[in-house]
Amino acid sequence: MERILKMALAEAEEAEVYREDFQNTTVSFQSNRLKAIDNSFGQGIGLRVIKNGKIGFSSITNIEDLQFLIDSAVTSSLIGQPAFFKFPSTSKVTQVKCFDSAVASLTVEKMVEEGKEAIKAILEEFPYLKCEAEIEKTTAEISILNSSGLSFSYKKSFYSFYVYAFLAREGDFLGVGEGESSCQYKDLSELLAKRVIEKIKLSQKKATIGTGIYPVIFTSKAMPIIFSPLKRGINGKLVHKKISPLSSRLNEKILSPLVSIVDDATFPYGKSSGPVDGEGVPSRKNSIIEKGVLKNFIYDLQTAGLMKTDTTANAARGYDSLPYPSTTNFIVTPGKISMEEMIKDIKEGLIVDQVIGAGQSNVLMGEFSVNLDLGFKIENGKIKGRIKDAMATGNIYNLLNNIRGIGKKIQPINSTYTPPFYFAKINVSA
Amino acid sequence: MKNYLFSCLSKIKAEYAEIRWEERISTHIHWVGKELESIGTAKEKGGCVRIKGKTGWGFSSFNDLDNLTSYLKLTLRQSLLPEGNPIFLAPVSPTVKIVPGNAKKDPRKIDLEEKYRLSFHYNKILLSGPEIQTSDLRYVDLYTIKYFANSEGTYIQQERFYTLLGMASIARRGGNIQSAHEGVGGVGGYELVEDQEEKAERAAKRASQLLDAEPAKGGKYTVVVDPELSGVFAHEAFGHLSEADFLFENERLLEIMRLGRRFGSEILNIVDEPLIPGEGGFYLYDDEGVPAGKTYLIKEGKLVGRLHSRETAAKMGEKPTGNARAISYEYPPIVRMSNTYIEKGEKSKEEIISEVKNGIYARGFRGGQTNLEMFTFAPEEGYIIHNGKIGKKIRDFNLTGNIFTTLSKIDAIGNDLILFTGPGGCGKDGQSPLPVSTGGPHIRIRELVVGGR
Repeated sequence: MERILKMALAEAEEAEVYREDFQNTTVSFQSNRLKAIDNSFGQGIGLRVIKNGKIGFSSITNIEDLQFLIDSAVTSSLIGQPAFFKFPSTSKVTQVKCFDSAVASLTVEKMVEEGKEAIKAILEEFPYLKCEAEIEKTTAEISILNSSGLSFSYKKSFYSFYVYAFLAREGDFLGVGEGESSCQYKDLSELLAKRVIEKIKLSQKKATIGTGIYPVIFTSKAMPIIFSPLKRGINGKLVHKKISPLSSRLNEKILSPLVSIVDDATFPYGKSSGPVDGEGVPSRKNSIIEKGVLKNFIYDLQTAGLMKTDTTANAARGYDSLPYPSTTNFIVTPGKISMEEMIKDIKEGLIVDQVIGAGQSNVLMGEFSVNLDLGFKIENGKIKGRIKDAMATGNIYNLLNNIRGIGKKIQPINSTYTPPFYFAKINVSA
Repeated sequence: MKNYLFSCLSKIKAEYAEIRWEERISTHIHWVGKELESIGTAKEKGGCVRIKGKTGWGFSSFNDLDNLTSYLKLTLRQSLLPEGNPIFLAPVSPTVKIVPGNAKKDPRKIDLEEKYRLSFHYNKILLSGPEIQTSDLRYVDLYTIKYFANSEGTYIQQERFYTLLGMASIARRGGNIQSAHEGVGGVGGYELVEDQEEKAERAAKRASQLLDAEPAKGGKYTVVVDPELSGVFAHEAFGHLSEADFLFENERLLEIMRLGRRFGSEILNIVDEPLIPGEGGFYLYDDEGVPAGKTYLIKEGKLVGRLHSRETAAKMGEKPTGNARAISYEYPPIVRMSNTYIEKGEKSKEEIISEVKNGIYARGFRGGQTNLEMFTFAPEEGYIIHNGKIGKKIRDFNLTGNIFTTLSKIDAIGNDLILFTGPGGCGKDGQSPLPVSTGGPHIRIRELVVGGR
């Protein structure tokens, strides 16, 4: 890496080398049995240069293409965007828990065994289901070296478990998937199988819903529908382009005072945890929403420079791309009520758990319109059964301003850590 | 390369083994508004081995060709771990082929500065117009050379040029933010993205106009969809369900998806066809070395075929269709679509609309998804149809339906088939985006659920 930096600095004033090495093993179960074992041994190097004040970038996967890397990065800098930042120099980095040696030493046999257990548990309850499972482990080493003197490298591990049960009956398909992932190894087979079984049980009875406006519960698993437009809304890049509806609303109350959210890359073993961001800036915890008030947008160095502010250490990247602002672990403060209490409170309403069609509406404005892949009807405080052939439509900013309650239990959904939410109303077309 | 790959394959004793190696050079340009977000050229080299055991697969991907033998050995060991029923591969005659790429203008020979100038020019058009807030333009050219060798003696070397231009204008009036997209490109060279000013102008104009549209009201409507949407409909509402890897080990689903089952009326034909030069899903051989063909999924309203890999074809006793594709060397091939479309019918667009008393004309594409029973797709914009006439503009709605009932509600098919290479591509099992084209003529669907306010 030092050699690449040196070669780049012979051509450009400033340079940064970003390197990723990773090993991944995935065991896949299909149709109730172990079907495949996949490995991936990958590496890549990205080079960002600043020449005549402009940014150039290139990437390669094989060190034999070193000269190509230097030449391409320099060529692209001739027409690249002006740099509004300096590469960060060495600063004090606090350790963040993001590597678990138990992931590294986990054997394929053990992963297989856990997959079998999860599937066995589901089949014991519902022998006629077809189950799939994917158990995945990754270890990676990330190194960043730049011309301001920064030289940092760290290891990261990642473990994830996903199980899916599927039933095809004439006129009635049912698929339930549950998964979790973190930097840490933990046997998830029992927990996830239990969640799948519970939801299949609830789906045994059918219920109907008419077109109308209803109170609604979004399970943790469904909350990314609500939070992905918000994550875009707080993204410094969209704020800079003035296409975030939140552009001019910093320090204003934008959501219900019940909502508090932090973005925290230092969260121990979070899926997006790490000691530094993609540009080597030490990770930190940023308040995003505090009691409904918008506290921060998220930035990388360049976007912060354009906005004449400081980076929030939210630069995400792979070796093959320039950094861009992205949330890390998006952690929602839990509320006070249980799922049971929410259900009990509803005379007629619904639960949204899985959908299709998320992210296809006017996401910038916070709109969504989704088909209920897995949803349940509530009548008189009880779950009546599964509802299908219905669309739920709304605006996330309206929903998050009309909250009846926030669940007290957080569940990690990729890197979003959220409880279930109970909203006053949603439009249903059936 | 051929000798090296075969010599490595000869070092292990496997029922079946294959090696793929891929080299890619890509240039990308990304504009957002007046800022050039990124521009540059990258190189990627990598490969993979896939080995069949008695009952399952082992797979490894890597970036260093030198250690191939050790990857083969590890993968062979792991290929023996799966359990359950034995798996088989449908026979394919061994072949040795070299397929050259086809580009009128090889993007590798065009200066980065020229590409910059062209994209700058289009971006300027995207930004011109009242109330345009910003733009999003992505240019990509990708040259790939893929090498494939298997233990049956097949060796295929395929070159491909893929050039794509995705353009969006984003308009804003207060809290109302609207975007309009246009995409061009496919398998081919730089010529595919030249002279596209008109499309850029259209995106800018539509984004501004969308600001005046009203949000759609939810409910059930007769919907006429344009060729872009009817293609997505073919892809989401039926294509995915035709992918045999969803079916081949699921007896209940196989019974539901029995050949000969009627899905639509006699006017409906749905096809998957990789061999259409220029389209996003164009190829001669798939990633298992199987020659591509043309597969009717629906013929005269009845289910007549499905898309296969060698494994699914063997299990179902059908012929492999050449639909096993991988987005890159990092992934094993799985059953995918290529260019999927509804064949053209007889009616004109005007006729189809004029027969609607109350309904919606939906056009342009934002996205689509399926769970094999239900599907959704999101148009960019729509118009109310009243008494056979197009009326006021509507925005922000999603269309949804049940695959098993909606196809039978198609009651008119237009004579204006067009195929589109989406700027995104298709996603399945973590492999995204895969280049595909989708298309169709204007079609009319009765009783479609529209999600709106």
